[in-house]
Amino acid sequence: MSVDFKRMNRIIDDNFSRRKFLKFQMKGLLFLAAGSSGIFLPRKGIAEPIPDIAVVKGGAAKATRAAVELLGGMKNFVKKGSKVLIKPNMSFPNPPPMATTTNPDVVRELALMCNEAGASSILIVDYPLFDSDTCLKRSGILDTCDKLENTKVIGASNDRFYKETEFSGAKKMSRNGVFQEALKVDTLIAVPVAKSHTATGVSLAMKGMMGLVWDRAGMHSKELSSSIVDMCTVLKADLTVIDGTRVLSTNGPRGPGKVLKEDTIIASKDMVSADAFAVSRFKWYGKKYRPAQVQYIREAHERGLGRMDVGNLSVKEIQI
Amino acid sequence: MKFRPIIQFLSLAAFLFLLTSAVYTGVDLVAPDLYLRMDPILVLGSALSGRVFLFTFIPALIVILLTILFGRIFCGYICPMGITIDCSDRILNLKKKKGKGRDNLYRLKYFILLFITGAGAFGVSAVFFAAPLSLITRFYALLIYPILSLLSQMGLSLIQPIAAHFNMYGIMYAEISPPRYTTLFFVLLFFVGIFAAGRINSRFWCRYLCPSGAILALFSRLSLVKRAVSDNCTKCGKCVRSCPMGAIEKESPGNTSFKECIGCLTCRDVCPENAVSFRVHSQKRKDVPDFIPERRTLLYSGLTGAVFASVNLSGLYSLYGKPGVGHVSPKGLVRPPGSRPEDDFLALCVRCGECMASCPNNALQPIWFEAGVEGLFSPSLVPKRGACSQDCNNCGTVCPTGAIRPLEIADRRWAKTGTARVMRERCLAWEHQKRCMVCDEVCPYSAIKFRDEPGNPVPVPEVMEDRCSGCGFCEHHCPVQNQSAIFVTPMGALRLNEGSFMEQGKSQGLNISLAHKGKKEQPGGTGYPYESSQDAGGAPGFDEGGSSGSGSEAPGFESGSPGNDTGSTGFDEGDEGIAPGFTE
Repeated sequence: MSVDFKRMNRIIDDNFSRRKFLKFQMKGLLFLAAGSSGIFLPRKGIAEPIPDIAVVKGGAAKATRAAVELLGGMKNFVKKGSKVLIKPNMSFPNPPPMATTTNPDVVRELALMCNEAGASSILIVDYPLFDSDTCLKRSGILDTCDKLENTKVIGASNDRFYKETEFSGAKKMSRNGVFQEALKVDTLIAVPVAKSHTATGVSLAMKGMMGLVWDRAGMHSKELSSSIVDMCTVLKADLTVIDGTRVLSTNGPRGPGKVLKEDTIIASKDMVSADAFAVSRFKWYGKKYRPAQVQYIREAHERGLGRMDVGNLSVKEIQI
Repeated sequence: MKFRPIIQFLSLAAFLFLLTSAVYTGVDLVAPDLYLRMDPILVLGSALSGRVFLFTFIPALIVILLTILFGRIFCGYICPMGITIDCSDRILNLKKKKGKGRDNLYRLKYFILLFITGAGAFGVSAVFFAAPLSLITRFYALLIYPILSLLSQMGLSLIQPIAAHFNMYGIMYAEISPPRYTTLFFVLLFFVGIFAAGRINSRFWCRYLCPSGAILALFSRLSLVKRAVSDNCTKCGKCVRSCPMGAIEKESPGNTSFKECIGCLTCRDVCPENAVSFRVHSQKRKDVPDFIPERRTLLYSGLTGAVFASVNLSGLYSLYGKPGVGHVSPKGLVRPPGSRPEDDFLALCVRCGECMASCPNNALQPIWFEAGVEGLFSPSLVPKRGACSQDCNNCGTVCPTGAIRPLEIADRRWAKTGTARVMRERCLAWEHQKRCMVCDEVCPYSAIKFRDEPGNPVPVPEVMEDRCSGCGFCEHHCPVQNQSAIFVTPMGALRLNEGSFMEQGKSQGLNISLAHKGKKEQPGGTGYPYESSQDAGGAPGFDEGGSSGSGSEAPGFESGSPGNDTGSTGFDEGDEGIAPGFTE
């Protein structure tokens, strides 16, 4: 047991240090920008801090771009030559209006931004629940994104792509096959669609990481919510962009259900915060819920994976 | 210039192309089952046992017509079974060891033909034991194709590191999912036997066993174009030795058994005197070896078939008479969507395996003796391996005899294959009280309803039978291993010989649709897949938000969740009461 705690602490320490480091870096960049050019000073002053959560209302592509810009721009997440993995939801053979899969325009914009930031390769990956080809096609993501520069859309339904991986400090799921490239890439971007989920309440960034895991049946029999947190200790997104352009408020994850037109993009470096904010932002089955009412979000918070106390976080919301 | 190997190659290629088109797309452009429908015994035997004649059977009649004109050119040039055996003969027969006359064996094929006919007269299909196109389709579709895809997958895995090193995503993420089938070893042994028999005599199968060859032999006797030998013949016997069918009389090579001749022209090509030609002539040879068995023997083999049929019909799973009380159906046997009523289905199914090969999810498997001898190798839906896709009707499209009916996609969804059942004592939610709703998540027809169960902190699944199409996605994805906690039973399957499944289903009160949504429209509260019986139902999956027991907060974080004594399970009792759309 003691070993486990040590491991956990190490994970938590890592989080803090990475987080602090990133903040530090960003501030540094801003100062550099300020110092080197007096003309292009941001209008509202250089000292404006980067928010924990960025919320933008507007058209899918533009809002996506704006949300990432609020977090300091894609260059904060993708360096020149970086390998990027984008994890949308392409799991169901449904068209985009059903809100069971991520809006292709959102995914496309992210891929474009990664390219602008100098990414060397971009993989857009999900392990669809149904026939890969059908799901990828119907989601619209294959057609929209596969032709982009350096970009490949993959329906990873073959065990060959997965590497048996240990989840240290796990509570329920100590090992599973993980999509190999996800462990190797420099930047992992989660871009889930916001939807309800009969078993876990909501399916957002954290739950969405199940699309990079081989044995999902085992996660259900072990205990789904805790297994999701276990999984996210390894599959922790560097950037989370939640597609709330439309929200599947009922009958998720497969639908058809009630689709809310929200035109909202939520972005954060912290996938727990992003999920938590999305929970409190939208109505689920016609009602508002607190993030703590979703077991895996609460557990992720308690285990130090990220923060769900959105009230204490800085949120920057704009409309475009 | 030998054009026969070229034609044979093209024919085999066409056969394999059609098969591949069935496997990969189930396209309607071409008829994937065309070759099967050219097989005389397959068509005549099925028409007899199924008591139907379909227009799709016409290719076999054309083959017979061609035989009357040109002899058994089907056997010599077109039949993929014959071509495959030619290849294996060439590989195995290196020693050119030619068997002596085994004239008695020639009769075997007529016995087999009569056996199938006798059984067919009693409505039992024995076609699949010996119809060459059925056998060869099974060979390529259920044996060669899975092995090749397995090897390619292994190859992909081998070159994966290289591809990864060079970032060749095309190769890295190429996906092959090799299909898996039962009865593979049987198919293997059967064909090993057929190929090995080539060591005894070339084209052993075609000479002695093939019932389609027997039918064509009866007609090729009358053929217009025949082998003719001029007076230049020196009786060197070269043609006798090279004839793959043993159709030339040893003592007088001028005499041909037109029944056995497949018009391959080998004798013409090897003749040093150029004495052999194939042309229209009315020349009748007196001493032609004639291998037609005596009438009495033929009668006996017909009777054997009839006895076989009677034994079948006396078996426990007999389909004779109207199904009703006392009728035993094989346990758990689920047929493909659009299958005819079981008796007609089995009478028509030729066990070619085309449906199994064309199933994109590898859901169809040949069975052994679960349904008696007459059900041998017939297709069964095995959802644990693969579920039945709601957008696909490949099996019906490729079925050569219409045992599985080709249907419009809209109608096909109503072709209910059975009904899913929850086995509560295995279910993660019912028995283990774990939050799992995979069956609902994957059900294309929204036929799973989750409801609160007194004493159980998590909602539990139930099947709404009227919505269930029996596709088996629930069984396929159920996390419970070995035997899924939800599985498809043949109960309520729609089996129709004609007419619309949709109409029939609707008249039975079924409500199968991909667009089912909520119970919001239905105040009665049975429509929506999640049903809460509690007074203050919350959205499914949410809970009270934090428990005091495990309430230790992560260091440095301030918890936004209020401590709550009611535990972390159960549903939100929300301040505002019931969520809209939920009933008491």
